[in-house]
Amino acid sequence: MIVCVAVVGNQVRSDRPRPLRGGAQNNPVYLQSFTEADDALKLHHIVHCSLDVIDERVNNPKRSGPTLNETFLGLLYPTENYKVYGYLTNTKVKFIMVTTDLDVKDADVRNLKVILQNHYKYVSVLVQIPTYIMFFRRFHAAYVDAVSNPFHVPGKKITSKSFAERVSVIVKSFGSTAT
Amino acid sequence: MEPDVSMETMSTIRIAVVAVGGAIPAGRLREYAAAVGRHARVELSALASFYSEQQKSPFAHQPWDSGALRLRFVLGGSPPSPWEDFQSHRKILAVLALCHCPASPDLDIVAHHFAAACRPYPHALARRCFAFFPSDAQLREEKRDDIVLFPPSDVQKMEFHMLTMVQDLAASLLMEFEKCVLRTESAGTILKTPLDSQSSLGSEEVIKAKKRRLGRAQKTIGDYCLLAGSPVDANAHYSTAIELARLTGDVFWHAGALEGSVCALLVDRTGGRDPILEEEVKYRYYTVIQLYRRAFIQDNAQRVSTVSFELEAALKLARYLCRTELAKEVVELLMGAADGAKSLVDANDRLILYVEIARLFGTLGYQRKAAFFSRQVAQLYLQQDSASAAISAMQVLTMTTNAYHVQSRRTNPKLHAPAQELGTSHGDGKKMQPQSVVSLFESQWSSLQMVLLREILVSSVRAGDPLSAWSAAARLLRSFYPLITPAGQSGLASSLANSADRLPVGTRCADPALPFIRLHSFPLHPSQMDIIKRNPLKKEWWTGSAPSGPFIYTPFSKGGTTDNSKEEITWVVGEPVQVLVELANPCSFDLVVESIYLSVHSGNFDAFPVSVNLPPNTAKVILLSGIPTKVGPISIPGCIVHCFGVITEHLFRDVDNLLLGAAQGLVLSDPFRCCGSGKLKNVSFPNISVVPPLPLLVSHVVGGNSSTILYEGEIRDIRICLTNAGTVPVEQAHITLSGKNQDSVISMAHDKLTSALPLKPGGEVTFTVTLKAWQLSLADSEVDASRNSSSSARRISKEGSSPLLAIYYAGPSTNSDESENKEASVPPGRRLVLPLNVCVLQGLRFVKARLLSMEIPAHVSDSFPKPTNINQSSTEEDDDVQDKDGSLVKIDPYKGCWGIRLLELELSNPTDVVFEVNVSVQLDNPTDEHTPVRDYESADIRYRKTRIDREYSARVLIPLENFKLPVLDGSVFLKDSQTDESAGNKAFSVTERNAKAELNASINNLISKIKVQWQSGRNSSGELNIKEATQAALQASVMDILLPDPLTFGFRIANTSVEIGELGDQSSKNPIAAHEMTQMEVLIRNNTKETIEMSLNVTCKDVAGENCFEGNSATVLWAGVLGDINLKVPPLEEVAHSFSLYFLVPGDYTLQAAAGITNATDVLRARARADSAEEPIFCRGSPFHVRVTGTA
Repeated sequence: MIVCVAVVGNQVRSDRPRPLRGGAQNNPVYLQSFTEADDALKLHHIVHCSLDVIDERVNNPKRSGPTLNETFLGLLYPTENYKVYGYLTNTKVKFIMVTTDLDVKDADVRNLKVILQNHYKYVSVLVQIPTYIMFFRRFHAAYVDAVSNPFHVPGKKITSKSFAERVSVIVKSFGSTAT
Repeated sequence: MEPDVSMETMSTIRIAVVAVGGAIPAGRLREYAAAVGRHARVELSALASFYSEQQKSPFAHQPWDSGALRLRFVLGGSPPSPWEDFQSHRKILAVLALCHCPASPDLDIVAHHFAAACRPYPHALARRCFAFFPSDAQLREEKRDDIVLFPPSDVQKMEFHMLTMVQDLAASLLMEFEKCVLRTESAGTILKTPLDSQSSLGSEEVIKAKKRRLGRAQKTIGDYCLLAGSPVDANAHYSTAIELARLTGDVFWHAGALEGSVCALLVDRTGGRDPILEEEVKYRYYTVIQLYRRAFIQDNAQRVSTVSFELEAALKLARYLCRTELAKEVVELLMGAADGAKSLVDANDRLILYVEIARLFGTLGYQRKAAFFSRQVAQLYLQQDSASAAISAMQVLTMTTNAYHVQSRRTNPKLHAPAQELGTSHGDGKKMQPQSVVSLFESQWSSLQMVLLREILVSSVRAGDPLSAWSAAARLLRSFYPLITPAGQSGLASSLANSADRLPVGTRCADPALPFIRLHSFPLHPSQMDIIKRNPLKKEWWTGSAPSGPFIYTPFSKGGTTDNSKEEITWVVGEPVQVLVELANPCSFDLVVESIYLSVHSGNFDAFPVSVNLPPNTAKVILLSGIPTKVGPISIPGCIVHCFGVITEHLFRDVDNLLLGAAQGLVLSDPFRCCGSGKLKNVSFPNISVVPPLPLLVSHVVGGNSSTILYEGEIRDIRICLTNAGTVPVEQAHITLSGKNQDSVISMAHDKLTSALPLKPGGEVTFTVTLKAWQLSLADSEVDASRNSSSSARRISKEGSSPLLAIYYAGPSTNSDESENKEASVPPGRRLVLPLNVCVLQGLRFVKARLLSMEIPAHVSDSFPKPTNINQSSTEEDDDVQDKDGSLVKIDPYKGCWGIRLLELELSNPTDVVFEVNVSVQLDNPTDEHTPVRDYESADIRYRKTRIDREYSARVLIPLENFKLPVLDGSVFLKDSQTDESAGNKAFSVTERNAKAELNASINNLISKIKVQWQSGRNSSGELNIKEATQAALQASVMDILLPDPLTFGFRIANTSVEIGELGDQSSKNPIAAHEMTQMEVLIRNNTKETIEMSLNVTCKDVAGENCFEGNSATVLWAGVLGDINLKVPPLEEVAHSFSLYFLVPGDYTLQAAAGITNATDVLRARARADSAEEPIFCRGSPFHVRVTGTA
């Protein structure tokens, strides 16, 4: 079950076209937890900590090897009860998902992705399988729609209700299939 | 668990370092411990000299040339571990005592202490006691075996001594290891771990234990081999041990031996690190971890647990692999270890585990994870209920502040840059430091940051560190006030106050709390104190240096807007200056700023503190002042604030960054805006330089500084008094005018000012400025609202339309007392801008001007016309007449008639006061150069005063006849209206084109002679500006006014014998009688420069206008020719034509002469305004009045 999703921005100042050395300004743009328990702070920490891994991957892209152009970063790190997955856009906006599905192996997720890419038409058949790539794609699309709002200030937190609703719908749909 | 474990840990010899004897000063102890600690590695080759082989060494493959012993000095020792048998490196293998001889004079006591200190370490194979700085007496005592005295010597010698002693210690340890190995090989020592059940030793168990004993012994020998620096030997023993342990199923010892073998492998291959080795190590260690996990026995998990070994192994592997390339693997290991923390029984173990995990994440570059685990560490510390644990927690948390970007300024050198750097970086304006940019963005992890700061606050309160508590509370309040409830804000404020209570007065903290302070503005120098750069090369030294106008910004100044951040401000030593700053208190409690003053790092400024009280959610602009004390640049990076009992420095730059972030919507809130203060342009910090003392002129207008009320055109003297209020004499002073209506200043007493120089401090000079109030135009006047009840609203001049008096002054150009400063430029001068406060009221209003012209026929008498030659001084009588009666009426001497031309000016007086108008005509420019100098020549002709009551109109008449030129000539149309007699007919046609322009010039010339002055009351007087109006009125008829007719005709009674002068008086008598033949002459004067041919006719008309010469009832008989007389008149001369008249009837008659000019010249045509050349030109004289007396 997905317990938390987050968007971490890469706000670049207009007079400073490149992100600062040593990574980016990792400002949380959106962070929402989907648990009943009062562990929001813990999830904040988990998301915050996952930025270490993303930073590292962003700064050493050559190590990614075949996944050079992939936006899906895969499993970022496992923590006590959760697994953290990441997704990095070309504009270095990070999508982070914290899930409790500990049994899904990183490799499985990747293989699924290959399957999806190779047989895209069968996606509708395969959609029963929890595919985090699909999740992130939809999450990404929702984000793009949200920031396309002319009243959105880049770098500012997304407060759009419709975005929140859409994200929770996505999360719920995946939560149901994942179990 | 133990901290700081690595794979090589197994090969280090643990030595307890303890202090014995008297108390050693902390500094000394640290020094000694450091000296000992430097020898953590002792080369085998170095200790060869101390080593003596007593029996055959079991270390067959000892690398004497390359190997080394690794020593680990444990300061203060450590309690014995239950796992000492399992891993020999856990034992304290030697005890090293340190003694400071001056503190412990009796060496016996020291020896006693030493023995006692060794007692807890039964496994210690070697014991040494180092005594430093022994006294002479102690040195003289007989040499003791148990205490090594370090003779007092220099550092270098002591180092050497220490090295020798440590090598000796290492050698003896090595020898002891040999003994141990031999002992372990021979005797069947029972090696046990807490894991082995102690109670139930069944027969099977005993057999099993016997079998295992061998393997364990082999493992122990391997340990000693490792410690002795012989990895090859160790490896051999470990291999055996592994085999045996595997056979006997001694999982735990299997793992230990495997671990040892990896260590041996690494020690053997020291330095080299190839992938194959790495793979091998990784493989073996994963096996080790697996084995340890298998060794976990559920039933005695409560008592002992192998989990710590498993985790330690994981940490060791993680440390070994800890490189960014292998980050993923390391992260998995560490996260696995972190998960294992829950199964650790001992809280201390958990603490160590988290510390290690945090450290490894930090090494890996994963700052956030390191921070996360550091926080876990801190929480574990906080669970312990002791002050020292709280201090540890506080320190650990402080370390994490970097990762969360809430670090204290004190620990961040980048934020706490030196003053110079601050000054320059502030000057850069928009460029922000990357550090601050990142912190802006990262500040959005506010939930984490706040938690962290709260924890720091709690831990520092518990640790009893009020300064840290204050700092944490300050950071929390300042950064996150929008997220804290009012109650929470007040709580933080009280914790700030509580912390401050426990701090000494005047404590400084690097982290500012409230209020937010930003630079508001620099009040410009009042115009009285402007400082002007002096240009020593120019005489007018103030030019080209500073904006000379009243405008601060001129669009023509160089550079445009790019350079405006580098504004220059000059302050003067000893003169107080002021800076406006804005304070904001966005919190919900009253903020009492005990004192606030400008923070100046350059040390040449005395700032004056003020105290401010800021109610909740308010912003205030306050004025901070100070006095520059020394010459040089000043940088003001911020303010020093004494608030909540602690002194902090608030930098403007921080708030600027904050506001910039707020503007981009990236930080939480703009503290100023939420306090209702408006948005302020980012004030860039100018370059401030301090110059030596300058003179300072203070001005006041004598009679009050309020504005002078003047009517339009009024002339008034204003006396201005200047006082030098500075400490330097004024040596140069110049007055210039600027601003509007500069021409209204008629004169200024420059010399009065310059003669007073140098003006000593305290000196005073008064000079006069004469002002003439300017005309009000619609643009710069406004309706006086106070008088709107009146029908005619009065207009007064607008504010700021007065001229400004700019006085540039300067002190001595060279500073004698600063002669050593050769390249120092000339000290600047100053400018005193003194507005001449004039309020101009509308005065007499000019309504219109008209030219009136009238002719009154002259009486024919023998006195008229006057003698022909105007060159004669014949007008004396005229002057007399004129002077006598002051009549306005003038008689044209040539025309012979009373021709009057009057300029009528209509004036109205809309004001409250009475005006008296006085018209004067200046006659200082006689048009005829032949006219001798007359006594009225330069005098003004004054007429009677005209009084105009308030709200009435009046007409003033100005006669213009006096301006007629004597000669009609083309040259009058030229600019210089001189008569040039020799020049004949000039090319008039050429100049005709310019006629209009020339006319205007003539009119201007004419008008400038007329002055309309007025007076009102006792001391208001002025002049009316009528130029434009008169010009318009005269434009049409100027030729008639200025130019004489070409021919003038006059009649007189031919009675030559009578003197003119005498006859003048008799002119009033009537010499003509009826029924008498009267001899008369008609005089024709040619006023041109050409000879004029004409045919003259004389007519006579009676009062009814009937021609008297002709017709049936001719009433006048005549003799001589009266019609068609052909005459030729030479230029500028006159010709007389005589005739006689016989009047039959007494009465009034009019004689008139007229002439048709033949062959008229261009000049005449122009004068006659003839259109074509064919048109005949007639010239008609003025009528002459003849009164014939007698009886009919």
